[in-house]
Amino acid sequence: MARTKGSALLRWLARRIIAAALVVFVVTSLVFVVTHVFTDPATVSLPLEATEEHRAQRRAALGIDRPLSVQYWDFVSGLVVGDLGESFWQDQPASKLVLERLPATLKLVAGATLVTVLLAAPLGMLAAWWERRFADHAVLGFSMVSISAPPFWIGYLLIIVFAVQLGWVPTFGSSGFVSLILPSFAIGLASAGRLAQMTRRGIVEELRKPYAVTALSRGFSRSYTIVNHTFRNVASGFVTMTGWELTRMFTGYTVVIEVVFAWPGVGRLAIHAIENRDLVLVQAAVVVLATLVVVTNLLVDIARRMIDPRVELG
Amino acid sequence: MNGAGTSTDTRTERLLEIKDLTVGFPTRDGIVRGVDSLNLNVGSHERLGVVGESGSGKTVMGLAILGMVLPPGRIMGGTVLWRGENVLDEAVANRVRGREIAMIFQDPMVSLNPLKTVGAQLRELLKRRAGLDGADIRRRSLELLDMVGIANPHDRLKSYAFELSGGMRQRVMIATALACEPTLLIADEPTTGLDVTIQDQILTLLHDLSTDLGVSVLMITHDLGVVAQFCDRVQVMYAGRIVERAPITDLFADPQHPYSSGLLQSVPRVDRAEIELAGIPGEPLDRANFPAGCAFEPRCAEAHDACRQAPPPLAKIAERRWVACYNRPGGSQT
Repeated sequence: MARTKGSALLRWLARRIIAAALVVFVVTSLVFVVTHVFTDPATVSLPLEATEEHRAQRRAALGIDRPLSVQYWDFVSGLVVGDLGESFWQDQPASKLVLERLPATLKLVAGATLVTVLLAAPLGMLAAWWERRFADHAVLGFSMVSISAPPFWIGYLLIIVFAVQLGWVPTFGSSGFVSLILPSFAIGLASAGRLAQMTRRGIVEELRKPYAVTALSRGFSRSYTIVNHTFRNVASGFVTMTGWELTRMFTGYTVVIEVVFAWPGVGRLAIHAIENRDLVLVQAAVVVLATLVVVTNLLVDIARRMIDPRVELG
Repeated sequence: MNGAGTSTDTRTERLLEIKDLTVGFPTRDGIVRGVDSLNLNVGSHERLGVVGESGSGKTVMGLAILGMVLPPGRIMGGTVLWRGENVLDEAVANRVRGREIAMIFQDPMVSLNPLKTVGAQLRELLKRRAGLDGADIRRRSLELLDMVGIANPHDRLKSYAFELSGGMRQRVMIATALACEPTLLIADEPTTGLDVTIQDQILTLLHDLSTDLGVSVLMITHDLGVVAQFCDRVQVMYAGRIVERAPITDLFADPQHPYSSGLLQSVPRVDRAEIELAGIPGEPLDRANFPAGCAFEPRCAEAHDACRQAPPPLAKIAERRWVACYNRPGGSQT
């Protein structure tokens, strides 16, 4: 029995990974369509006063004068071996440029996720514990403010207070752990606000359920019951929501915050690539970020399966 | 008021003594009394039944015995004494809850934590509430599962609730309730929702355990059949109040309160020839519009003016028999 269970798990995992790879493929193909069909890399990468002759030369140099099907085949076969084309702004392989910046972005997202989880879980539990009391209202207030304020504004606020006024941390750049703190909070606070409310609501609901009443009737304290019984039952939703927040971070927050904090990550690279009309590099950045989103979703599915044994292996 | 008296046998020690307990729930139409001036005693080695229809305050009473009231309810008056100490005091409740008094609930499908294995749920109880550790926890877990008649206890420790049948889950619930060797077990509709054959098994198990372990049981149920099979003594509850208290055989042979008679007539019996079952006329009480007099008066065929003035007190009418009705000899004394 244990063996069939195990192989079912492996089959499920294999299916999930294949599905994830398919999603990456579809997304990157869409990126190809957008960059090659709806725009002309030669025109956008040349000055306005360039002649038609210049543009033709440029098209030939970029290989985009060939039929689309040939270009697409090139793109896909390059993708398989990790070749995302040459950046025309930097004259280097785009994948190399993006992967160089990737660790900085991953560090930032990891920091922001840490802030999110370490704030949201305790705050949500605290609010549920003190339901309709002062602490509950205070947590709600924090959530409202952090959700409503745009991350770039939170970022500037944090810089003004903690870097300029108090001088505790550097204003920008990535020099070690300390410089990671402010941008992590700038990104993580809004996510923490959303997740804290979701956690609170979930726990308050769970506390009314018979299994929680049973735990309390066995003499377990309210705090023990919240942490060890009800939180476990909202953990699945918590992980799913955290996954969504990670998606938002990869595709939005990091881009903005990397610019605000001059953080040398993929997001800022993408902005610079756009400014320099380097469509190949933009394309490479999008492919990598999309892959991260898909991998995140895969990890969330695996985590949910580990938390709740009832999750179907469908 | 003489309703607080006891009919507990003098040979037994009095364990639980509820005096004038009132639990209120604020609603839009005012405060609804889930339990109203309730008096009840449970002695050692006793199996007491509390019977009443759903909504009569039985579960509220059961939780109140553990010093628990589900929000937004609140205890408005009275005391719950456990061996002389007031359980409504949180410090006493924390000590007694789950250790000396344990409760099993109506729906075993949802009363176990869905994400913890049977073993984990027993372990946390044995560790945190019974104070065991190490190998003792495992030994006692297996012993408890064996005690409630679960086969292959080793394997079952690793099971989640969703992998067990309803009957098995209720057995596990009973095992967790017995983990700290309680003196009183409150069983709130423990067989509702189970197959008839499983119901019988669970009742037999509870009966045997209470005899073997010397645990008193307070059986809360709407089912007179359960009471007949299980209890020594019964209290009939209506609208948060006790309306009749009697040894089980006396109640079945000669119910005194009109509501008790109605309940008995609505139970199918194999030992009698009648085929028609009589229901109780009228609707269960609208709890927000509480009558000034006897709560059963709107449904009672024998009601008269006095019944509408004030609720009748629970009065002794014979040895070990109490009834709250103006129409019974001795029942009208105030």
